[in-house]
Amino acid sequence: MGSVAVNSGLVVTLMVIHLLASMVVAEMKNLRSAVYALIVQSLTLCVVILLLGWGQGWMIAWFAWGLATKVILLPYLFLRAIKILPRQEAEPVVSSWVSFGIVVASVLVIYQILHTYLAALVPTVAAAAEPTRSSLAMAFTVFLLGIYVCIVRRDMVKVIIGVLLLENGAHLALISLVPSRPETGIIGIVTNVVLAAWLLLYFGVVTFRALGTTDTMKLSELKR
Amino acid sequence: MTQQTSILPLLAIVLPVAFGCASILLRAHGRRLHEGTALIGLALTAIVSFMIVGAVMDGTILTLWGENFYVDGLGALMILLSSVLGLLVVVYSIPFIPTRLLEIQHAGRRLSTYYGQLLVFLGMMNWTCSTNNIVMLYLSLELTTLATAFLVIFYQKRASIEAGYKYLMLVTVGILCALMGIALIYSAAAGLPKTETQGLHLLLISDLAKTSDRMAPSLVLLANAFLIVGFGTKAGLVPFHAWLPDAHAEAPEPISALLSGIVIKVGAYALARTITIFSPSFSAIVIFIAIIASASMIFGILMALVQDDLKRMLAYSSVSQIGYIVEGLGLGTYLGIYGGLFHLVNHTLIKALIFLATGAIVMVAGTRKISELGGLGRRAPVTAACFLVGALAIGGLPPFSAFMSKLTLFIAAAERGLMWAAVIAVFTGLLTVACFVRAAYRIFWGQLSAGREMIVDEVGEVPPAMWGAMAAIAAVVITLGVYPKVAYPLLDNAAKCILQVLGGVAS
Repeated sequence: MGSVAVNSGLVVTLMVIHLLASMVVAEMKNLRSAVYALIVQSLTLCVVILLLGWGQGWMIAWFAWGLATKVILLPYLFLRAIKILPRQEAEPVVSSWVSFGIVVASVLVIYQILHTYLAALVPTVAAAAEPTRSSLAMAFTVFLLGIYVCIVRRDMVKVIIGVLLLENGAHLALISLVPSRPETGIIGIVTNVVLAAWLLLYFGVVTFRALGTTDTMKLSELKR
Repeated sequence: MTQQTSILPLLAIVLPVAFGCASILLRAHGRRLHEGTALIGLALTAIVSFMIVGAVMDGTILTLWGENFYVDGLGALMILLSSVLGLLVVVYSIPFIPTRLLEIQHAGRRLSTYYGQLLVFLGMMNWTCSTNNIVMLYLSLELTTLATAFLVIFYQKRASIEAGYKYLMLVTVGILCALMGIALIYSAAAGLPKTETQGLHLLLISDLAKTSDRMAPSLVLLANAFLIVGFGTKAGLVPFHAWLPDAHAEAPEPISALLSGIVIKVGAYALARTITIFSPSFSAIVIFIAIIASASMIFGILMALVQDDLKRMLAYSSVSQIGYIVEGLGLGTYLGIYGGLFHLVNHTLIKALIFLATGAIVMVAGTRKISELGGLGRRAPVTAACFLVGALAIGGLPPFSAFMSKLTLFIAAAERGLMWAAVIAVFTGLLTVACFVRAAYRIFWGQLSAGREMIVDEVGEVPPAMWGAMAAIAAVVITLGVYPKVAYPLLDNAAKCILQVLGGVAS
């Protein structure tokens, strides 16, 4: 845990970048740009894993695996799919400015609530201290942002990106809560949803070829 | 309970996966090779599952690789169900699937994919039921979803693509909620003083259970909420069930039998393995599960009543019936767990039977709309008899198997002080009888419109492999109804395995 104290400021800074990148991922209409923002978001997560788990074999393995899958492989798959699919996401259920307002307000409110009352949720006194407190509050915020994207966005690619936000939020919570045990790295490596995301993108391409759109609201037209 | 190192749990996973991969790799070969590979692979797996059951009946727990592979009475019961049902589904598929592939390109290769993925799925299913490692549970559960997603879109119709996407998306979102729950539980255990976790492996469910009463209560409740959403989505509980009606309706009928028979049960199994370790210390969890389970029961059957598509009716009925199972398992009492497990076995068999009978109806009549069916009883008497057995059994009428399991659940809920839950369960049972008897009467003895009479005149009984598989399941359903004690040793052992964990927590 010594490394945590040394890099506390850096970890919190990375977390802020992670949260801002998550908001950009959620709101960016251009899907290529959203994927680039996702790369930044995932990269910050990987660096946080490396910093918090410094010197532990399984954590370094998780960092390397995360870098390979979240930062390189998945963005590559997304960008390849976007070559076939529309670059601009299908119109969301909520209009852009309203959605932007909801996201900003939600992030601020959720973060504030979690940051204030986190002591009731964390397992140890140490976890209620910085930087864990901030990173944990941000982890839950990113997770809820992922759920928001999955519910409100209509574009299949954007919904799949929402799934990745969910996963990154859960992984951030995991590394924030237990950075010092090898099992944390094992959980992180094993629970990667790269296969599911790849399959979902495949479904997106098949749907686009059948319907000419990736709008999930029009999926029911496939039944006709 | 004694532990014994055994290779059997690994064999139950590796055998179907190896034969499944062989079928996929040999895709250029003929139909007989794929069918033979699937039959041999699952016959061997079924033999292994009987050996596992034989080994655990005296309370022994089979372990391998520390306790990462861990088969107790409950795991053995689930492995037996999935292996035997898988074998019967393959027998049924041999004459059925080729008739459904007539209009599809590369039908031979599609058969290799069908059998290959079916076997890989059953291997993953056995893995889920033979692990004590919470991360392996998560991983294998996700792999069962990935393996079945392609089976859901097997017909490659436009509607099946929608169903497949919805299934994969919603269950993946659900499983990520479970991941958050797992992270919180693990952190709650890791946060305890080192003296309390010394010698414990915090990824093993049995070791997590030993610390569950000392974990931070608010963290445990939050973690359980995430686990209920996650595993509840896989189980098809209301309100996380949206994927289920479409996936069950659009998948090939033998796959629907497996989806309804065992895929949703694995979600209930994961709930039983994880949530129940907290129920002795957190009574709020029992009430919360009872509310969700009751909502599933009543919502599912009300939706089933208004369906004209037979497969959607069966799918919504599964939403309703999973409510019974989860309610029983969540009660945390011996009677509740016994009743929940008994109903799990019964529903696996009965719903598989009805879905297979529905496949036979679709094969002979070419439609699954109840309003377009009628008069099939004279032309397909075995199919009619099997469907009727299933319909009466799912309604919980004596002398069929679900009568005893539902009765046990009613009593268990009342004994736990949840009289309202018992009343909802009884009311749901009455609606289920009405729903299924009405459908069976309409399909087999109802009057057809003038235009469809001619089609019915050309209809005959399905091939022997199909009705043989259905008749075998129907025979078990009747046997378990007339002699419920046949299943008692297996169910008693499985229920005691859950209770032993609860007892460990309570003490």
